[in-house]
Amino acid sequence: LNALPQRAPRQQIRFLPAPGKDESKAMELVATRVPMLADHPLVRGPRFRRLKIGAGHRLDTKASGVFVLGIGHGNKLLTYLYNCHLTKVYTVGGLFGKATDDFSDTGKLVEKTTFDHITREKLERILAVIQGTNHKALLLHSNIDMKTQEAYELAVKGLIRPMEKSPPIITAIRCLQFTLPEFQLEIHCLHETQQYLRKIVHEIGLELKSSAVCTQVRRIRDGVFTLDDALLRTQWDLQSIQNAIGKCQLKVQTEIEKTLG
Amino acid sequence: KMAAVRGLLRAAPRSSPAPRRGLAQSAGTRSARQRREAEEAAPVFQYVGRAAKRKDRVFVWGFSYSGALGVPSFVRPDAGWKKPRRVQPTPYRLDTAEKISSAACGYGFTLLSSKTMDITKVWGMGLNKDSQLGFQRSIRDRTKGYEYVLEPSPIPLPLEKPQQTRVLQVSCGRAHSLILTDNEGVFTMGNNSYGQCGREVVEDEKYSESHLIHQLQEFDSRVVQVVCGQDHSLFRTKKGAVYACGWGADGQTGLGHYNITSVPTKLCGDIAGVNIIQVTSYGDCCLAVSDEGDVFGWGNSEYLQLASVTETTQVNVPRHLPFKIGKIKEAACGGTGNVVLTEEGNVFVWGYGILGKGPKLIETAMPEMIPPSLFGWSDFNPDIRVAHIRCGLGHFAAITNRGELFVWGKNLRGCLGTGRMEDQYFPWRVTVPGEVVDVACGVDHMVSMVKSFT
Repeated sequence: LNALPQRAPRQQIRFLPAPGKDESKAMELVATRVPMLADHPLVRGPRFRRLKIGAGHRLDTKASGVFVLGIGHGNKLLTYLYNCHLTKVYTVGGLFGKATDDFSDTGKLVEKTTFDHITREKLERILAVIQGTNHKALLLHSNIDMKTQEAYELAVKGLIRPMEKSPPIITAIRCLQFTLPEFQLEIHCLHETQQYLRKIVHEIGLELKSSAVCTQVRRIRDGVFTLDDALLRTQWDLQSIQNAIGKCQLKVQTEIEKTLG
Repeated sequence: KMAAVRGLLRAAPRSSPAPRRGLAQSAGTRSARQRREAEEAAPVFQYVGRAAKRKDRVFVWGFSYSGALGVPSFVRPDAGWKKPRRVQPTPYRLDTAEKISSAACGYGFTLLSSKTMDITKVWGMGLNKDSQLGFQRSIRDRTKGYEYVLEPSPIPLPLEKPQQTRVLQVSCGRAHSLILTDNEGVFTMGNNSYGQCGREVVEDEKYSESHLIHQLQEFDSRVVQVVCGQDHSLFRTKKGAVYACGWGADGQTGLGHYNITSVPTKLCGDIAGVNIIQVTSYGDCCLAVSDEGDVFGWGNSEYLQLASVTETTQVNVPRHLPFKIGKIKEAACGGTGNVVLTEEGNVFVWGYGILGKGPKLIETAMPEMIPPSLFGWSDFNPDIRVAHIRCGLGHFAAITNRGELFVWGKNLRGCLGTGRMEDQYFPWRVTVPGEVVDVACGVDHMVSMVKSFT
C-alpha cells in the first residue's frame, strides 16, 4: 500500500526575497508557491503504519477453510454479519475404530473398537436423528412463542432461527462419502466451534456402538463467503485483495439489508 | 568388549511386531514411533458383532395415574426417593417380555399384543372397571378382580388352539376392547351396555370383575381389521365389507338407523360393493378408505367432519366424501377432527379443534393440507414423506418414512410427549431414541413401537 503513488506535498505561498526586475539592489518579496517541508514524504513518513484488521468467526489451528477478515471500516460490517446469524458449512472427515481424548486423530488414544458392523444406512439413520433433535433446538432457541400464527408461518417457510446467542445448533448434516473406516460429512451449523464438531463425530461413533475420531475439519462456507471467494496464501497481495473486496461488497450489503433491515 | 555388546543386541528378541506403515512414510521421532507402536498394540474392544440385530422397544408417555402407562412406580412408588408421577411428559421405555406387534390405547387403558405362538399373547394395563382387560384375579382375594391394573398383565383368551393361533391386532374403545386373531375370529370384552361387544344387551349386567369374553366368527369372510369407536365397534373383512355394532345415536353404526345394534351387521350405503381397505374411528365419527383412493364417512358431524356432503349433524349411512385432493392412502378419525394421507405423502386435515395449521385454523369443512416442510421436508432432504397418520381424541400423530414422529393438537395431561404441557398448533417432533415403527394414540396417553438404531 505504501509503495503506491502518494499525493504530492502541499504547497504554501511564501513571500520569498527574490532579486528585483530592475537593477536596483533592493530585494523584493515575491509570492511563490513552495512545497511545505513539513509535508515532504520523507518527513511525514509512510502513509499507512497500521491497518485495523478484524477477524470474523474463529477457526481452530487444526482446522482449515474460509476465514473472513475485515480491514479498517469493514470491521463494522463484520459486526453486522455476526448479528445476521448465518449458517456455516463444514466438511468433516472422520475415522472409525479409535477414540482419543481430544476427539481428533492427533490425541492420546483412549480406546480401539471394531467397526465392521457399521453400514452407510445406520450412519444415515443416526444423522437423521441428529438433524431432528437439532431442528427442535433451533425452534426452541429462536425465542418465538410457538402459539402464534407468526411462528407457524415462519416454521413453514423454514426461516426460524435463533437471532441471539444460543448453544451450537446443526441445521443440516449429511454423509458425503463412506468407505470403512473413513467417512466424510457435510455439516451446516450455527454458533458452533470446531471442537464441538469433533465432539459430534465422537458421539456418532458412540451411537453406532463403536468409536470415531475426527481427521479433518474444513469450513467451506461462512455466511455469504464461499471457497470461490477465498484467497489462497499465495494470493495475499493488494490487487487480489482489492478485487475480492469489490466482488463481495454487493453480496454482503444485500444480505445485511435482508436480515437486519 | 564392543563385539560382546553387539552380540547382546543381536540376540535380544524383537518383542514388538514390525511397524505397519508404508514405505513412503517416515518412521518419525522416537516418541512418535513409540506412540504409534503403543497404539497398534492396544486391545480392540468389540461392543457389537457384525450381525447385530436392531432391538424392538416400546415407549409410553402421558397420564399415568390410571395405570395406562404400565409403570407401577409412577402410581405407587416402590422406593422412598421416588415420587408419584402424574404425567410422563417425554417417552419412557416400557420393558416387555415379547416383541409387541400391535398396541391400542383406550380411554384410560392400554392393550399390547404380540404375534407369538405362546399361551400369553395379549397384555393389558390401566382401568379395568368394566373388565375391558378381562378378569385380572387379585392376589389378596382370589375371588375378586383388580379395578386398576398398573403393570402389563396377561389377558387369558378362551382360544381353542392357543398354540396355533396368532393375535394380529387389538383395538380399544371407551370401555370395551377387541382382539383379532388369525383363525379364531374376534374376541370382545368389556362394557356391553350398547351392544358394542357384539352380544345381546343384558339389563343390569355387572361388567366389573366379569369373566365373559365373547367370540365373534360370523362374517362373510375373515376379519382383517377391527376398530373401536367410543361405544361402537367396526369390523373390516377380507372381501372389503364393513360390519358394525354398538351405539348408534349419532349414526356411527352406519346401518340406517339411530338405535343400538348388538349383532355385527354389514353396512350398505355408498360403500356397498366397494372394496374397503381401511376403516378408522375413535370418537363418534367413522371414515373408510377404498382401494381406489376414495374416502367414505358416517356418524357424528357436529364438528363439520361430514359437512362437505350434508348439513345434518348426524349421518347414519356411509356417504362418499367428494374431496379432490388425490388418491387417499390412509385416514384417521379423532374426536372432533379428521386427517387423511394421500399417495403423494401429503397430509390433509379438517374438522374442529387444533388442526395443525397454526392457531388461526380452528375449524374447516374442506380438507386443508399441512405443508410438508413442517415434517422435515426441505431442499436438503427432498425425499422425506409421511408414511402413517394416527389420531387420538384431541391430537394427531404422523410418522415419516425416516421413522420420525410428529405430533400436534391438544396436549391433554401431557399426551403429546413433547416435554411441555402446552398445546401444539403445528407438527412438532417427539424425540424418541429409535426409529418409530407405529404409534397408538389414546385420550391422554400414547404408546409407540420403536426399533433401536443399531
